Amino acid sequence: MLLGIIFALIAGSLVGLQNIFNSKVNEHAGSWATNVLVLGLGFLASFTLGLLFEGKQLFRLHHMQTWYWFSGVIGVGVVTCVVQGLKRLSPTIAISIVLASQLGFALFLDSIGAMGLKPVPFTLKELLGVLIIIGGILVFKFSGQQESQQSEKAS
Amino acid sequence: MKGILFALFGGIFITLQGVANSRISQDIGTWQAATITQMTGFILAVVLMVSFRDRTWQNFKRVKPMYLFGGTFAAVVIFSNVTAIHKVGVTLTISALLIAQLSVAFLTDTCGWFGVTKQRMRLPQFIGIGMMVAGVLILSM
Repeated sequence: MLLGIIFALIAGSLVGLQNIFNSKVNEHAGSWATNVLVLGLGFLASFTLGLLFEGKQLFRLHHMQTWYWFSGVIGVGVVTCVVQGLKRLSPTIAISIVLASQLGFALFLDSIGAMGLKPVPFTLKELLGVLIIIGGILVFKFSGQQESQQSEKAS
Repeated sequence: MKGILFALFGGIFITLQGVANSRISQDIGTWQAATITQMTGFILAVVLMVSFRDRTWQNFKRVKPMYLFGGTFAAVVIFSNVTAIHKVGVTLTISALLIAQLSVAFLTDTCGWFGVTKQRMRLPQFIGIGMMVAGVLILSM
């Protein structure tokens, strides 16, 4: 269990860094061009590491199903929805909704055992855990917002 | 209202991406799944960029070179995410991922990394992260 959590923490730290880097790119370039750069480099990196670890095995796609070829659509959906949400709402509200929705949907997929997941029964424990985490996001995000407004006024 | 819907679907897509990758990797392997999802996403993004006539890639040279390489993290992100989902399920994976993500944002703000305006650490942020860690502990019990 610990190993799984460590992997999730690594992924989360890199996602956090990537968000900062991508927004720096987005300051100068449009969102479609940013999308192309981010996904293009993601592809190059995955392909290189895949070749390194798997060699020729990387090209052996035995149990390929048709919808796997369209999974990239989800990635474009992520970038588009998050960017549009951020454009229309304040960053604090937008990101809080994104994070809460991520967690809520995870709980839903886990409890119905979607896409070959082992179903995790939805109990009071799950509900409590997720509500406390969402509460934590709100405390974290909304107090941060006040702080930045105060420092803007001060400067 | 439209903004709220976009943000909601943004979150749903992020989770869906992890689960879809984890499903695909069971059949064809994790690196294969990462390569294919990034490749097809890249192709779609190129098509959209061309059809919306976005020529702003010319401005990439004005971005500090380091920031251009954020995309490469995706390989490690997908591998770690898929491995975590296989080991501890979606809810716990996403919860731990959120904590790490917010901690990086918090450290960036308080240390003023990457040219971000430095902000003082305040009690509510510690309480927020504390609550999130408590929630993850409850989920993993």
